[in-house]
Amino acid sequence: MNSDQAQTAARDAVAIAIECGAAAAEASASLGSRLSVEARDTTVTKLERSIVKSLEVRVFVDGGRKASLSTADFSHDALRGALQRVVAQAAAVGSDPLAGLPEATASDVPDLELSDDAILKRVDADGIDDVLTMERVLREIDARVDNSNGSHYSDGSSVHALANSNGFSGVYATTRASRSTSPVATDGERKRTAHYGTAARKLEELEGSVEVARLAARRSLEMFGARKPTTVRLPVIFERDIAAAVLDDVFAALNAANVAVGNSWLVDRCGERIGSELVTLVDDGRLVGMLGSSPFDAEGVATRRTVVVERGVLRTFLYDTYYARRLGAQTTGNAAGSGIGPNNFFLEAGAGSLGELIASTPRGVLILDTIGFATEHATGTYSRGARGFWIEGGELVRPIEEFTVSATLPEMLAGIDGVAGDLRFDSDVVSPSFRVAEMQISGS
Amino acid sequence: MLDPDVLSRLLSRALRNGGEYADVFCERRNLLTYRFQEGRVHESGLSLTQGVGIRVILGEAAGYAFSDDLSIEALLQAADTASNIARNGPSGSARSLSVGAIDVRAPYANPEGDRGDVARYVALIERIDIAARAYDPRVVAVNAQIADEVQEVWIASSDGALVHDRRPLISLGAQVVTLANGERGTGYYADGGRTSLAYFDRVTPETIACEAARVAVLNAEAVAAPAGEMEIVVGAGSGGVLLHEAVGHGLESDFNRRGVSLYSGRVGERVASELVTIFDDGSLSEERGSVAVDDEGVAGQHKVLVENGVLRGYMQDRLNAKLMGVAPTGSGRRQSFRSMPQPRMSNTYMPDGTSDVDEIVRSTRRGIYAKSFGGGQVEISKGDFVFMVSEGYAIENGKIGAPIKNATIVGNGPEAMTKVVAVGNDSRLAPRHYTCGKGGQHVPVGVGMPTVKISAITVGGTQGE
Repeated sequence: MNSDQAQTAARDAVAIAIECGAAAAEASASLGSRLSVEARDTTVTKLERSIVKSLEVRVFVDGGRKASLSTADFSHDALRGALQRVVAQAAAVGSDPLAGLPEATASDVPDLELSDDAILKRVDADGIDDVLTMERVLREIDARVDNSNGSHYSDGSSVHALANSNGFSGVYATTRASRSTSPVATDGERKRTAHYGTAARKLEELEGSVEVARLAARRSLEMFGARKPTTVRLPVIFERDIAAAVLDDVFAALNAANVAVGNSWLVDRCGERIGSELVTLVDDGRLVGMLGSSPFDAEGVATRRTVVVERGVLRTFLYDTYYARRLGAQTTGNAAGSGIGPNNFFLEAGAGSLGELIASTPRGVLILDTIGFATEHATGTYSRGARGFWIEGGELVRPIEEFTVSATLPEMLAGIDGVAGDLRFDSDVVSPSFRVAEMQISGS
Repeated sequence: MLDPDVLSRLLSRALRNGGEYADVFCERRNLLTYRFQEGRVHESGLSLTQGVGIRVILGEAAGYAFSDDLSIEALLQAADTASNIARNGPSGSARSLSVGAIDVRAPYANPEGDRGDVARYVALIERIDIAARAYDPRVVAVNAQIADEVQEVWIASSDGALVHDRRPLISLGAQVVTLANGERGTGYYADGGRTSLAYFDRVTPETIACEAARVAVLNAEAVAAPAGEMEIVVGAGSGGVLLHEAVGHGLESDFNRRGVSLYSGRVGERVASELVTIFDDGSLSEERGSVAVDDEGVAGQHKVLVENGVLRGYMQDRLNAKLMGVAPTGSGRRQSFRSMPQPRMSNTYMPDGTSDVDEIVRSTRRGIYAKSFGGGQVEISKGDFVFMVSEGYAIENGKIGAPIKNATIVGNGPEAMTKVVAVGNDSRLAPRHYTCGKGGQHVPVGVGMPTVKISAITVGGTQGE
């Protein structure tokens, strides 16, 4: 029923936009519900269940002038009033003949198994049980874990409909569930925190409450006695979650919207070597059951598998329709709500475990967590506050914290000399752990 | 937005299973944006938000539901959902509640009336482009954005209060890219606040454009930042980001009530150098973090967080204030009706010290002068913070030297605050463009600071010793 309702809302919005004077229009409507539960110790501290609605409309007036509307009010009168305003705003936008709907939208909408009945059937009590279990297990593992910033369970289901004035109309349903916890352990005068979380489209693929709590507790305990390292240049291993965060920055440089305006260190580098032989980067919107999968993108263009970097050589940027036209390419089906975004974007896995990667490192640093967000995309300069382990003789010898790790992304991709096989798809940008031959560590 | 009778009915329904407190947060928000890129207006957007969030508090637990459907059926359903938190709690008796007369606060300039004047917005962003390009021939790209938002809230609570506030928020920003000898530099600057577009007659688009262009030119010429531990002189104004990250978050009451902050249980103790005094003030005029009332209907106010190095108090929302047995401080804020309030900062700043600014620099042997900051982050329990210098210079033997680029600073908040060795007499608030994220919720904030010297901090540049 929600599917029909969302599809009708999207189609109606397109029709109203045209009535209001738009030359072309596109609307996406989402309808869904979510449950969010939090516990601390033995108390359920938050229980939330809500209905979530949204409608995004893009209008084009003559000469490729575009403007957009975001609202949750699906009523025709409200929409008409808002769209009249948006069409008037569009008239003030500069003319751009390249702006407009895509030439070709998805001709089929395959079932990518993005929705799970088991999640739809979950009741409040299931979520409550999850969060209380995580809180209990945290404290059972080690007496030093004596507090937490809360354990969370959330799930949601949505239907996403898209329609445009060229006659495209498509809809698909998704579900998502996640568990996470943030233990706090007492290390003398200091408090040690950690976080571990996981998400999946299907309940059976979601790591269990006990496992999530165990991993998080271990992370909070392993940093006991951490000290600041010296200032030195060394090989650096990024554990997979942090490696994925590095890929977020790589994605920004591959984003054609950034390339077109010169805000990317990859401008003019297509066909060139930008990474080591171990670097193969893929964007794939058609992986069955994954968090970044969808049958069509935010413009209704069919998603696909795109090899972006092949054994170190840059093959293509990632495009939506507008920036593909700007740069003389084809869209790669990466249109997102606002701009260009990843489908499932990942570094291809190597062989071996993270442990083996560490064992093959005579001296270096393992990064387990970073804070900050300082990446300069025009130059690719990367710098983060970090914590992790000092590696000596292929072994983790002591925890370290309060230092920065920095280099440029070009240096980092070229310097990748080890990739583990621990890739898993628990987000839309994911990575196996990898090692960079040398980076600047700044400590004392 | 909703009739007082409907609000009374929703509050009664929300407390039908018991619970100590309930509130209904109604919000209507209208955000207008124009974005300029590559020499022309690139796009325009209108975002309309309208909805109601209903909360029931029982001890440290809260039940919550929101609805963007304003029909009475949908709202009663949300009240029922929120009431479920109390279903297994100590049995409460149903109460019949009624909210009183509406208390209207709306101290800020009313920007309504000229929002349909498309040409006015376009002229402001076009002036940014013209001024930035005229500033220097090395300017190769200019992006500009103007945002004009009005948020209206109505907050009804089970203690009978009904408060209305209207909060304008405008922002005009420029991002400039320069290219010189193959080196790119970027600069960003923005200003605005809780005021009307007339503000840009005083702080002109030209001022904003030239400031962004100046930093972009400088950064194209900047050398790699040094790496390692050294002295740092934090610039007045946006240096307040350091206070926000290094201390401010650690003084939000949720972390302290749970005992997970380094500052937990330390009111009355010395937590910083005696030169350090920190205020948080939601009642300042026109600042981004200012609120006539917070999102729980409590008046925004001036709070002393740290006084001469001694911790005086935390920033409190209603839930944590009640559990800690103190009064709320007007610090309960939320991103929208889709989220529950959290204790948050408003405008956090350090007042004037006594040191002469030139003398602070002259006394610095080897270090950096971090004139402005791009942003930062903190890990609450350990107090470790990181922040990014957007305009910085090397200091050698008491003299400001070459501009440096891409410096990240890491440190430990409480530790850094004990190493404050000089506080200048030039305190001021930063330009109004900061937004703070916590638990996935973003709210506008203000920061401020005089020039401050910290004796040792780790700079994460790329140039080793």
